[in-house]
Amino acid sequence: MGRKILIVEDDAETADYLSRGLSQEGHSVEQVANGQDGLYRATDGTFDLVILDRMVPIIDGLSVLRALRAAKIETPVLILSALASVGDRIEGLECGSDDYLVKPFSFAELLARANALLRRSEARVATDPRLTVGDLVIDPLSRTVKRAGKKIELKPREYLLLEYFARNEGRVVTRTMLLEQVWDYHFDPATNVIDVHVSRLRRKLEEGFDRPLLHTVRGAGYMLEA
Amino acid sequence: MSTKLRIALLAGLLAFASNLLIIGFIHFQTRDEIVSSLRRQVAEQSAALGQVYRAGGPAALKREVSEAAEAGDPQDAVSILDRSGRPLEGNVDAVVSPGAGSFGKARTAVLRMKGESSVLEASVNLRPVGDGQWLLTGRTVSAGISLRETLERSLVVALALSVILGLLCGLILGQYVDRRVHHIVSVADRIGGGDMSGRVPLSGANDSFGRLSRQINQMLDRISTLMSELRMLTDSLAHDLRSPVGRLRAAADAALTAETPEERDQMLGAIIRQSDSLMRILTTALEIARSEAFTSKNQFSWFDPAQLAGELVEMYEPVAEEAGAAMRLDRSSVVVPVFGHRQLLAQALSNLIENAIKYAASGGEIAVLVHDEDSTLKLGVTDRGPGIPAERRDEARRRFGRLDPSRSEEGAGLGLSLVQAIAHLHQGELALFDNAPGLVALVQIPMRGDAKHFRRAPLGLAL
Repeated sequence: MGRKILIVEDDAETADYLSRGLSQEGHSVEQVANGQDGLYRATDGTFDLVILDRMVPIIDGLSVLRALRAAKIETPVLILSALASVGDRIEGLECGSDDYLVKPFSFAELLARANALLRRSEARVATDPRLTVGDLVIDPLSRTVKRAGKKIELKPREYLLLEYFARNEGRVVTRTMLLEQVWDYHFDPATNVIDVHVSRLRRKLEEGFDRPLLHTVRGAGYMLEA
Repeated sequence: MSTKLRIALLAGLLAFASNLLIIGFIHFQTRDEIVSSLRRQVAEQSAALGQVYRAGGPAALKREVSEAAEAGDPQDAVSILDRSGRPLEGNVDAVVSPGAGSFGKARTAVLRMKGESSVLEASVNLRPVGDGQWLLTGRTVSAGISLRETLERSLVVALALSVILGLLCGLILGQYVDRRVHHIVSVADRIGGGDMSGRVPLSGANDSFGRLSRQINQMLDRISTLMSELRMLTDSLAHDLRSPVGRLRAAADAALTAETPEERDQMLGAIIRQSDSLMRILTTALEIARSEAFTSKNQFSWFDPAQLAGELVEMYEPVAEEAGAAMRLDRSSVVVPVFGHRQLLAQALSNLIENAIKYAASGGEIAVLVHDEDSTLKLGVTDRGPGIPAERRDEARRRFGRLDPSRSEEGAGLGLSLVQAIAHLHQGELALFDNAPGLVALVQIPMRGDAKHFRRAPLGLAL
């Protein structure tokens, strides 16, 4: 599933680290070290994902992003930034980025987010609106969940959580991704609030079944996989 | 040039210019007045003598003229002149000008009166009386001129006086302004020199200077708060990051000397956890600094605080339950939408909730409170835990202020100060009360006046 990824990052160490990791995942990676080259390379629109550092020389990241969006280039963009305040994150997202990751980050976190963005760009023609993971069937229209034909009662938020997992089936989803996407909060809670919700959902999904569906990925997050 | 001198000079100049205008007006007005009254007198006299001439002929006129001349009014010039302009009768010795040729239209003349050595200017009327002779009546204007001179002299004196008075007023005014501004300037000087403690003394007057002083003081208060916040932040960061960095280092050391791979993995996990918590401290510190500097004001929007609180209760309820506490939402029936930073207020409230779960779950009940009273939005958490003694509440709000003296727990004591900073961003305060037993922690935000309209307006905008 090799995809084309552009990394715009002036810190050589970070760029190499990202490039190595993403190449190992089978993607073809191109690296530029300033905003001008980044904008130039990204403008041809052949990339599947742009990983853009917010503070790069010549043209800063947000300006590159604005220029891309103004030119109607809708390539998914993931912003990397050392600016970690809630205000900075919101500013980054409002500029048209698809995700925002604060430095320093774990590679697992970056990979999970990059995969989520790459999946979004896949032009999938959905013939069946239902999501199926093994023997689990989720119907987004009626918001009902069945496992092996047996209905599972979920609270509204639990349903949203499950739907997000299902849409990222087989991919790692991190806690902060869940907080941002399912709850729409952009701060780091100090408690294990996400874990508690995930384990409740897991209990409902797996009670009475032998096969686990919702897996914990150590040091990264969770994954829904049959 | 000092301000005082400038103002004095300006006032003097203004006094000079305005008085010059008034004096000029008086000057022209009085001169016209004097001249026209002279003319009238002369014309009347001439008409009377003309009457005499018409009634009694040259002889009667001669008699009348000599009588008038003998009447002895020194200003009265009356005479009969021959065609060349030489006086035949009357009290005029000679007509110096004009020449006889232009007698017909002359209104003024220069005469030498009998018994006088000098010539005098006179307002005259010349009328022909048979045989090419002329009847001259006139009044020497020495009287008018002297009156005018007196007037002009006094006007000049007045002008000089007014300039002096103007300068004096200017000096007094300048002194006053200088004195009022002096404090401001000296305070500004001290601030420029690095001493932030100076404030402009307030006179209590509600004039422009008073308002300026108050504004400057408010500005200085804000700046010095920010500066001390910044100083405290850097100091505390430098000081308080030592312990988490120390823990991080200890974990790394332990990983190096680990006996088994499992043990090493465990230590590496601890390192990641420690560095995450370190990052969280830095992020929170940044968040506080940003909030105190009001940089995220442009991200304010209208939203329903009750809905936000409801979401957070739903989010934290399972966590509270696991910790052994029941969580509920306590909201007043009507909660007006608030104009604020939704994400940051969510973070503030979640900090308070997490604190309650962490320290007060033993109390068994945690309530998230949203009340809208007296145009104040009260958003907070009440618990039945051990609470915070009144004398330690300020310390709890302080940055890096941790009530646990051993500081064994993770965290940096930034939670409540972030909540406080977010409250400040919304012009509000973090208030801590006794819940007897337990703690009430409330973010109190004054509602903007226009928010009241939303009570009646359609809710579309807010939701």
